[in-house]
Amino acid sequence: MRRCSAGLAAAIGALVLIGQQSDPAAQRIQQGGALTIGAVIALTGNANLYGQDQRLGINLAQRWFDGRPRTAGSPAPPRLRLQLEDGGSDEATAIAGFNLLINGGALALIGPTLSQQAFAADPIAQRLGVPVVAPSNTAQGIPQIGHYISRVSAQSSVIAPLSLEEALRRDPSIRRVAVFYAQDDAYSTAETEIFQEALAARNLNPVTVQRTQLADNDFQTPITAALQRNPQLVVISVQAVAGGNLIRQLRELGYRGQIVVGNGLNTPNIYPICQRWCDGILIAQAYSPDLDTPINRTFLRLHQGVNPEQPPSQMTAQAFTAYQVLAEAITRLQQQGRLQGANLGQARSRLMQELLSGSYDTPLGPIRFRADGEVLQDRFFVAEVRMQPDGRRGRFALVRDLSLASKPATSPPERGSP
Amino acid sequence: MDCRAVQRHAVQRHASDSGRSTDAMIDHGLLVQMLIGALLGISVYLPLMAGQLSLATPAFYAVGGTLAALLSTRWAALGASADGRFPLPSFLLEVLLGGVLAGLLALLVGRLVLRLQGIYLAIATIALVEIVRVAILNLPLAGGAIGIFAIPQPFANAAGYLLPALALLALAAWSCQRLESMPLGRAMAAIRADELAARCMGIDTTATKLSAFVLSAVLAGSTGALAAHFLNTWNARQGSFDVSITTLAFVILGGSRSWLGPVMGGLLLTALPELLRPVGDVRLVLFGLVILLGPVLFPQGLITPALLERIGGFGRQEAQG
Repeated sequence: MRRCSAGLAAAIGALVLIGQQSDPAAQRIQQGGALTIGAVIALTGNANLYGQDQRLGINLAQRWFDGRPRTAGSPAPPRLRLQLEDGGSDEATAIAGFNLLINGGALALIGPTLSQQAFAADPIAQRLGVPVVAPSNTAQGIPQIGHYISRVSAQSSVIAPLSLEEALRRDPSIRRVAVFYAQDDAYSTAETEIFQEALAARNLNPVTVQRTQLADNDFQTPITAALQRNPQLVVISVQAVAGGNLIRQLRELGYRGQIVVGNGLNTPNIYPICQRWCDGILIAQAYSPDLDTPINRTFLRLHQGVNPEQPPSQMTAQAFTAYQVLAEAITRLQQQGRLQGANLGQARSRLMQELLSGSYDTPLGPIRFRADGEVLQDRFFVAEVRMQPDGRRGRFALVRDLSLASKPATSPPERGSP
Repeated sequence: MDCRAVQRHAVQRHASDSGRSTDAMIDHGLLVQMLIGALLGISVYLPLMAGQLSLATPAFYAVGGTLAALLSTRWAALGASADGRFPLPSFLLEVLLGGVLAGLLALLVGRLVLRLQGIYLAIATIALVEIVRVAILNLPLAGGAIGIFAIPQPFANAAGYLLPALALLALAAWSCQRLESMPLGRAMAAIRADELAARCMGIDTTATKLSAFVLSAVLAGSTGALAAHFLNTWNARQGSFDVSITTLAFVILGGSRSWLGPVMGGLLLTALPELLRPVGDVRLVLFGLVILLGPVLFPQGLITPALLERIGGFGRQEAQG
């Protein structure tokens, strides 16, 4: 036994020594060498539906950047290498992914998928001075983790109430509202607060608030309880799979009124779940495939090349944007010669400055960053899900295109995101 | 290029890119996670020493973590600074308090749940995990579903956590080793062999089982306090039923006949998903296969009494030679 204990202690000691590596931040950037952009997204766990969309968006952005035509006489663009790691849907896996990429010499990171993961992993990048662009974290306090943390995902405190407005515009007589949210999910609890504040601001107090659990798929009991109150509008804040099932069961149990859903259902992956019952649900979005700009047309063309059956989701567009803003900022840095002779730590610091100072024309519309890394986006959209007669395919059809003043600093606080 | 081709391309790229960084895979952060896994493994093992299948470890882990997260973010007297630093003595105090609070909770509920045996005890302890999870979820101070974030740091990087985690593991392992030759440990072994016979021999089985349960809770609570700082954030999901199953798997794969088994199981099963990153998207399939095949190929776990005897015998022969 003692021999075993000694062996174990020696093995752990050896691992501690193996784990000690030279700091990659001190390594000099090789002229003409590939620069690594790391991405940590949820490819497993309950957030994997979002992660699949994000992986597609990042891969499309990589193809877009690598395939951009060069103008004659312009310097060669930087060689970018994407290293994509599964961040799971929990904190520990996201931390492991961040550590792996940072130790591997990534210049900047994209991710993680969930805000709860960001609160765990982002402080590590901040302490080591590695720029992070979050494609889908909308929680309050994410950019405030530190100077190196930024995001391209607008806060849903600005966006979410827009879909409510559309529902009330369509039926101003609405007085009875039922609210559903997943009590044990950070995104759902935060978003429902925003929805309920927006309802209160319009003198609409919910006739019932039904709390569900993240892993629930059978909603017959809460739906039956809600339908007894004769709601004219149902507002839902749950994750994608649960949301698809909830909508389907709501319709199957006889609810015929309007349904407003939150950002958790902002993915075409809900279509196969709720099928024809998805038809007509209203959702506010930070991205619309109907946006007619050159970069969005390019994005749509690339997306159609890999998935001709359905338009891209907001998650895909935001992930594309995260890679795009990093690639453009790195290109500008290289053109200015500010990467020459720099070590990785200096390059990371300069990249962060350059990232925050730039303006970007993205599939989301024109965006820029506030000094603390918060995204400034003006255009938002309200979409309605329209399903094909076969009930298998559908699309987020644009019903309103809104241009808002970017005032995230003064927007109501929000605490969650998918 | 169709959708599958892009995904195949991504998988190949993913695999090749990950392969390039294999040497960087065992970093200090992962080592700390492995040590936390080993500590939780011992926490599940302690009641098993007395023959009790308790799955309550995540509940006590969550209690310790929540206490540390609350104290460090809300109690200014502990000395958290505005730049996110945290004094080391305060951190050690939290690790101690996490263990004490979890131990007190175990003392409170232990008398009730330890009346049950076998699968009924396992179910009761799962219920305890759920009660604690829902309580933390609804505790206004604990931040609801999103939990507590921006937990201040006693160390500048993950390497700093190695020393306290190793010290805690060494203390836990030494205690388990000592227990085996102490009256309490022998009483636990007797209960494990035959509870009725142990009682007939005059062993206070209730007190013995309760001691094992409390020791397990103290270790899980202290580990939770350490993990809360290491993870930077803490929420109710950290102590869920999933963690019960994961920690039980540590013991099943490692072996439940000596403390080395759960330590080995905790270290291996925590590291394996990370070490399998180079294989890409199928890594969790392989991980599942390991969990599936482990008990089939090693029914008594990796560390068996026979193995320990063989190694010990080898040592004796070597000494004689």
